Amino acid sequence: MNKGNGLKVIVSMIGLDGHTTGGEVVSMILRDAGFEVVYLGVNQTPEMIVDAAIQEDVDAIGISSHASNYPQIERLMQLMKERELDDVPVICGGNIPPQQIERLLASGVARIFTPGSGADEIVDYLAANARKSQAHG
Amino acid sequence: MKRETDYGYSIKSYYTPEDVPEWSYETNLGDPGSFPYTRGYHEQGYRSRMWTQRMTAGLGTSKEANKVLHKYREMGQRGGMCVISDRVFSSCIDPDHPLGRREAGVLGWPGCSLLEFEELMDGVPLTGQSITLLGSSAPSALRLAYVVALAEKRGIDPREVHGSVIESPFENYFGQTDVQPFDLNLKLFLDASEYVIRNGIRMRACIISQHFQESGGNNAQAIAIELSMLKELCGLLVDERGLDFDDVALLPYELVSVGSRFFEEIAKVRATRRMWARMAREHFKAKKDKSCQLLIAVHTSGRTMTYQQPLNNIARCAIQTLAGAIAGCTALDNATLDNAYAEPSALAARLSLNTQHIVAYETGAADVVDPLAGSYFVECLTNRVEEAAYRILEEIDSLGGMIAAIEKGYIQNMLREEANKKFRELDSNERLVVGVNHLPLPEGEEDFPIPVQEVHASDSEEIAARMQQWKQTRDVELVNRTLTRLHEDARRGERFNLMPSIIGAVKAYATAGEVMGVIRMARGLDYDPFKMIDCPFPLREAASEPVA
Repeated sequence: MNKGNGLKVIVSMIGLDGHTTGGEVVSMILRDAGFEVVYLGVNQTPEMIVDAAIQEDVDAIGISSHASNYPQIERLMQLMKERELDDVPVICGGNIPPQQIERLLASGVARIFTPGSGADEIVDYLAANARKSQAHG
Repeated sequence: MKRETDYGYSIKSYYTPEDVPEWSYETNLGDPGSFPYTRGYHEQGYRSRMWTQRMTAGLGTSKEANKVLHKYREMGQRGGMCVISDRVFSSCIDPDHPLGRREAGVLGWPGCSLLEFEELMDGVPLTGQSITLLGSSAPSALRLAYVVALAEKRGIDPREVHGSVIESPFENYFGQTDVQPFDLNLKLFLDASEYVIRNGIRMRACIISQHFQESGGNNAQAIAIELSMLKELCGLLVDERGLDFDDVALLPYELVSVGSRFFEEIAKVRATRRMWARMAREHFKAKKDKSCQLLIAVHTSGRTMTYQQPLNNIARCAIQTLAGAIAGCTALDNATLDNAYAEPSALAARLSLNTQHIVAYETGAADVVDPLAGSYFVECLTNRVEEAAYRILEEIDSLGGMIAAIEKGYIQNMLREEANKKFRELDSNERLVVGVNHLPLPEGEEDFPIPVQEVHASDSEEIAARMQQWKQTRDVELVNRTLTRLHEDARRGERFNLMPSIIGAVKAYATAGEVMGVIRMARGLDYDPFKMIDCPFPLREAASEPVA
């Protein structure tokens, strides 16, 4: 399977969120699907994630969220705008309650994958919506 | 659909005596209260002591968490309290740290100073119930210092307090990574453990498989990991700290994650008791019976609580609570129907606590010890999981023990592979979860709404601002003096116990970030693990002054 077609994606936890299982599983799924994954791991500030996105010239950012620390994600979205990375979609995955989903989408997060999302769903979304994806032209 | 245990043993349609060949009651089980303790440690079981029925608390400010503790007591939680730390305290930075500001009080209790502990415990007894403070390994020494300091303030002998505040350093590798380095967490774990053992304080250390399993590990791995951690950490306390094993053996307890595969979960707990009893006697040459009895608490599995159709979690919680009770445990905290959303709401907490009360008082399950003993199926499962666990344990031993296995990446790879396997099994419908990959709600139909507890950005900011202002009101000179002493002591080698100087600093209201920062500096690390702030104390200038 090569839906990823070399598209480059950051997978990271944010702030003090130390729960790594979701991020590691998604990294594996994306690698298997032909994406190039830059796995940042834990202890990443919003600033560090944005810096990495610029340095690595990535096409999308995936934040694994399991610590309810949504202000960190909102700060990330603010920085994405300030640093003019609006064309790099940020997606989040994790146990994010419905009222938070609305707030995060309003802050610019492109898509939220809640628990139970399938591997194909995540892969297909990124293949179609990452910057430099063929669907985007 | 797969009909096999999570560690790969295929389950047959029925079981006979042939499935437990060469099985002897005396060798494999023994009566309750007899070696190898497969059936538990007490002849009278829950008749002599009911398990501690408790519920995790901690969200928002310390004063809010305090109200929840009072509420839980009203809901029948009398045997013990259990408070989980937020990520800020777990990381040992402070709420007024630039990163802490956005997360204080979000995922637990913001316990970064003795002041917060005093507020948490306002009107809550320190004795007569077990005091359990959890979250991560790094703040173990701080939590112990809080208990000692508050006991002293209340005129209570710290030896009268019981519970658990010390946490194993290995959890950092079990899918819940923390900020502080392993060698520092290990040193502080050993310091805190040695301190309670030498001073006869009945505070236990959680050396637990729960996080490993909640992050995806299977039953056999969980037992093997548990025993490997016990072997390594008890070994260090005996060999490096010069303690007697029969004293050390009173320190650990296991918090076992119990999911919905009812019989397999019960078999796991029974096998764990038997395997520790043998390890204590054969490897550690235990002289006392008590040393062969690993205290086991149950946590019903948060990872099985689904985001979809959360009311289904009430049924899961009940099945798991019954399994935990039948398996035999000293305490039980159960997950809640809103576990996939947030910390428990009052409704969810009451439901889960009542689930425990129903199992304890209505079902009759608490009347008989180890009621499934002798079932061909359960005895076979107990043997199978034990065999599988011994194989992994031998593998870890052959790598040089738990620390060596971590250094070689063996444990991390094992967990990663298993978590991936679990995801694939769900993604391909080999395992079914109702409401998730089996019988989901029809398109367009909404779940019944449940109350979800929320913490807002302004709440974290409030906790941060309070700490920032409060720091200025302390006796800053005293804080500096106690931190200076801690800094000096922290340079006296790995085996120099820092507990006395940590207690001194905590009593002067030094904060988690300050205490850990100073210890880090003494070890050649940055004061702040994120390198965003510097140590605000001169340290060296005051070094010559006498310490209070």
